[in-house]
Amino acid sequence: MNPSLKFLLAILIALEISFTNVWMVNVLLAVIGLIIILASRPSIKRLALLFVVPLIPAVALAVAILLQSNAGTHFALVLFTRIYAYVFVGSAATLTTQVSDLVMSLEQNAHIPSKFAYGFLGAFNLLPKIISEVNIIRAAGNMRGQQLHFWSPQLYFKAILASLSWSENLAEAMTSHGFVEDAPRSYYTQIQIRWWDWGILIVSLALLQVALFGLHLQ
Amino acid sequence: MATISVDHLSFSYPTEDGQTPLILSDISATFASGAFTLLTGPSGSGKSTLMKLISGLYPHFAGKVMAGTITIDQRPVSQIDETKRSQMVAMMFQNPNQQFAMDTVERELIFALENQQLAPADMMPKVDAALTYVGIEALRHRKLNSLSGGEKQKVALAVIIAMDTDIILLDEPFASVDPDARQLLLSKLVQLNQERHKTIIISDHDLEDYAPLIDNLYVLNATGDQLRLLTPEEQSVKLAHFKRSHTHQVALSAPDSSDEASIILHQLKLSAGERTLIDQPDFRFYRHRITLLTGPNGTGKSTLLSALSKLTAYAGSITVNHQEVSQLRSKQLFLQEGLVFQDADQQFLNVTMAEELALSMKNSQKIDYFKPKLDAFLKQLQLDQLQDQVVYSLSGGQKKKLQILEMLIMATPILLFDEPFTGLDFASLQAIMAVMRQVATDCQQTYLIVSHQLFGLESLVDYHVTLDNQHLQYVEELA
Repeated sequence: MNPSLKFLLAILIALEISFTNVWMVNVLLAVIGLIIILASRPSIKRLALLFVVPLIPAVALAVAILLQSNAGTHFALVLFTRIYAYVFVGSAATLTTQVSDLVMSLEQNAHIPSKFAYGFLGAFNLLPKIISEVNIIRAAGNMRGQQLHFWSPQLYFKAILASLSWSENLAEAMTSHGFVEDAPRSYYTQIQIRWWDWGILIVSLALLQVALFGLHLQ
Repeated sequence: MATISVDHLSFSYPTEDGQTPLILSDISATFASGAFTLLTGPSGSGKSTLMKLISGLYPHFAGKVMAGTITIDQRPVSQIDETKRSQMVAMMFQNPNQQFAMDTVERELIFALENQQLAPADMMPKVDAALTYVGIEALRHRKLNSLSGGEKQKVALAVIIAMDTDIILLDEPFASVDPDARQLLLSKLVQLNQERHKTIIISDHDLEDYAPLIDNLYVLNATGDQLRLLTPEEQSVKLAHFKRSHTHQVALSAPDSSDEASIILHQLKLSAGERTLIDQPDFRFYRHRITLLTGPNGTGKSTLLSALSKLTAYAGSITVNHQEVSQLRSKQLFLQEGLVFQDADQQFLNVTMAEELALSMKNSQKIDYFKPKLDAFLKQLQLDQLQDQVVYSLSGGQKKKLQILEMLIMATPILLFDEPFTGLDFASLQAIMAVMRQVATDCQQTYLIVSHQLFGLESLVDYHVTLDNQHLQYVEELA
């Protein structure tokens, strides 16, 4: 499916279930999300994290509702399943999309300014570098007899400084390779929206309405 | 075909209190269309600044033109439409890590061509041709992050070739490139100049090999207020005078039985991604010795230093003073060894030079030795007037000297140096080597130095180790 539409669909689903209280739909969405996730063959570790990490806020929310308010078990169940629906639907979208495809699609289909698209891509490519940079900063501190903990302002000062200089370098690098803000560009890979991309979007949303209203009326 | 002329140009990086110290002051020059020009001058004289001004990156990204103009074919650079300009001028940066926006080699090339609004169908042939021209087809799908400095510069040249600009600017492009890659890149540049009539300006400290290649030699003085075109006679004198010492004639000894091991490698395996860099059954670096480590780009010299400093995971064993590096806590490890990073900025923890020095003095293991000597060292390195300056605003060479000095002051028994001499002019190089020599002897330190720059090193090093085909080996000469 076209990346831009895929993310639009995920956001619309998340928005809609934020305002409805049908826990079975939440479960249904989570299951569909999980099937899509499983189809992308994630590692066991990632899968385990997907189950465990949402458990903390989900349980916390449910317990809080049960103990602190009189909204009842139904609402607690809705909130618990809603968190899993968010996470699994969101992951189904992200795990099946390459960042570069998403960026190209956002640029070509959603027509966001290309400087945002490539700025985002550049920042994403910097992530592993930021992690190794933090290790290097801490080592540099140790070498000079200064231990930098994760709460040390110096660590952040250096990390922010490094990021600033990278962003400047990135901007210079892009400019020197001919990138000009708001100038037209050609695209080697054309990302198109096909009729069935719209089809999936519309049919999915329609089915969601049917499920929500159908179950609500019961 | 394009003629560049610099006309009474003055340029400044205004400071926060509104002052405008001039980096370049009233300089003029003409770079003829199709000429191959070498630009040289001491570190910090403003060569990079001039290059970035010609390419149009400045004053767009930093600084202010105080007077004068730069024109390309009589049109001021600042008035040329940005897209047009990027089709006329391309630039290769000093730091190989700072010139790419995409993740893979192929995508970077495509990105540049998309910016030029080339039709999609014409892109692949251009990408293929550029990669073939530089001889790096094998790197096509590699991640840029995983390439060595020399490989990155080859990719940078391929991008420039694909962009097919008339003017090619190269800002000390060989600072972290091994001699073989340097030769290859230079020969490609000559070819571009002769066959495709590109106008080329290259800045470099190391003037060796240029004599038969260049048309003109410009010298920028230390204060950036004189840019002079040498006459053909002066040019040939200067180039002939500059000879990297004939290092192949220098014999060094090999370790003998009296040497005591300081760092021991055992069944060591280092890799980058899927590529094995080092596979070494047994190897020793010796105590109280200065060992030079050389080898082609991308063989894993920096990775070895990084593993010795617990910054890269390794398989097998590395012991420093009989303790396994991976099992030592960082704090303990760095009481025994220090690493002088390739990128000086990574070393700095504070804002001004005075603060940097104070931190090293506070935690030095040999404070009594350094306290009376610090001022003399600063003077010797010409850093004494710069104490209040923000370290990040120093020139490349000044940063390097400060970085080395502050790590010397720490006086750890072992010091690892990753390309400590890049971007240093001749005088700075001599000065920093003298200081290193003195401190190593007085404080009985063990040094391991990775360097491409071999000039003058015979007076500093005891042993020479080469890394090639995944193996470390002692050799008895500097070559």
